[in-house]
Amino acid sequence: MVTVGSVGQLDLNFKPSVPVFDANVALGRRHDRRVRVDTVEGTLEAMGRAGIGRALVYAPHAVAFDGREGNQVLLETIQGEPSLVPQYVCSPATDDLDSFAALVMEHGVRSIRMAPNVHGYPFRDWVVKPWLEWLAAENLTLWMLVDQVDPAELHDVARDHPEVNIVLSEVHYSHVTWVIPLLHSLPNVRVEISRFVIAGGVSRLIEAIGAERILFGSRFPDSPMAPQLYNLHRSGLSEASLAAICSGNLERLLGME
Amino acid sequence: MNTPVIDMHSHAGRWGTLGVDDDAAKFVQVMDAAGVDRACINCIFYGDPRRGNDAVAGFVARYPDRFIGVGFVTPHYPEEVIRELERAFDTLGMKFLKLYPNYYGRPIDDAGYLPIFEWADDRGIVIMSHSSYVDDSNTLTAPWRFIGLAQRFTRVRWLLAHAGNARPGQEQAVEAARACPNIYLETCTSHGEHGTIEFLVEGAGADRVLFGSDMPLMDARYQLGRIVTADITQDAKRKVLGLNAIRLLELAD
Repeated sequence: MVTVGSVGQLDLNFKPSVPVFDANVALGRRHDRRVRVDTVEGTLEAMGRAGIGRALVYAPHAVAFDGREGNQVLLETIQGEPSLVPQYVCSPATDDLDSFAALVMEHGVRSIRMAPNVHGYPFRDWVVKPWLEWLAAENLTLWMLVDQVDPAELHDVARDHPEVNIVLSEVHYSHVTWVIPLLHSLPNVRVEISRFVIAGGVSRLIEAIGAERILFGSRFPDSPMAPQLYNLHRSGLSEASLAAICSGNLERLLGME
Repeated sequence: MNTPVIDMHSHAGRWGTLGVDDDAAKFVQVMDAAGVDRACINCIFYGDPRRGNDAVAGFVARYPDRFIGVGFVTPHYPEEVIRELERAFDTLGMKFLKLYPNYYGRPIDDAGYLPIFEWADDRGIVIMSHSSYVDDSNTLTAPWRFIGLAQRFTRVRWLLAHAGNARPGQEQAVEAARACPNIYLETCTSHGEHGTIEFLVEGAGADRVLFGSDMPLMDARYQLGRIVTADITQDAKRKVLGLNAIRLLELAD
């Protein structure tokens, strides 16, 4: 006889118990395929279903083709919707820093995303140094997709610019071999956990670097919004750690607390 | 209402390259935290399947109420297959079979698997195989390959682990399930975009989709959360989470 249902007692209507600020959402159409949600309305609906109050959003077009144009499209798409916080994409190898910085200040953007691999430049000081100095001076945070940067280059630049806060985004279980040592080594690097779903992964990260350097993100619409929240709520975290990971750490990074 | 949760897809074996322990107690802790009643556990990583099947039997022996053993054999040693299948199922008590063609380098419809399929068809067991299709660079377990097998070996219930994995594979998996009533889809993936569970349930039907985690590669809490938070009916969630597994594996409820 098999006994089932002893653990059960699932809440099939799960909602997060703390405010949530998603640190990784793409908004808008892609060039290479049609995603299931590519509009503000669809994104807000998904956020509502998942219990997410705010999301940091970037434009896929800005990564794939042109940062300046993509960033502008993002602003036009959002149209001031307060729950969608824009993140700009830049290419230090080709963008003009002064004019980019002026746009960032004009629109109150608080974080920047770089994609060295797709934009075709090494993440080295002789390319990115002026940009990192500007980020530090303005207290802006840099988002870096894990598969967009060479780990050794990331390590060296982050080490040489300890005043720049960097968020390593979309870390996958296949990166665990180098990401945790890197986080150990560099206190100015944080991790966004949309793809970090290895068993016990959240606990491993907290043990390694503490809850204050971990950010909830979903990678929507390439991943659903809510499963990582379910994971976090079932990981035995203190209320303070849960709140920090789900929103507080990101608010602090963006100066929105 | 109580919701039985059966995880169809988990692994024994020390995954040292990812820093994952082979620790049954830690495994059960995650199951408890996630809300998983029982996990079907396999070990597909050894060239000698006897070693893997013994590891599975060890997990089941330690927690007989929490683990269901799943056997494995390799197509590279066809002369050993039947003997090991009989040992795995008749002596060790395995409940179904897991195959991993991508790791062993032969497509799922390779002739090396035929003795396995014939044996499984005679017994009418469930075969769960890795299934993945991203693009034509690797079609070893593209879901379309299972259609011919399901039509030839009709007593086997074919469970497509990862349901094709990426979206093109998921679309193939749904087509395969629609073409063959003995094809079922298992949910775990690290590729699953927003709306994947909804797509599988709508396409294949709520009776043909089963929850799996891929523990310890992926955390049961995350994978279970994909079902719990999906935009499907409560009835469909309960089927996917456990009721379908109870029916498919003929577990007593």
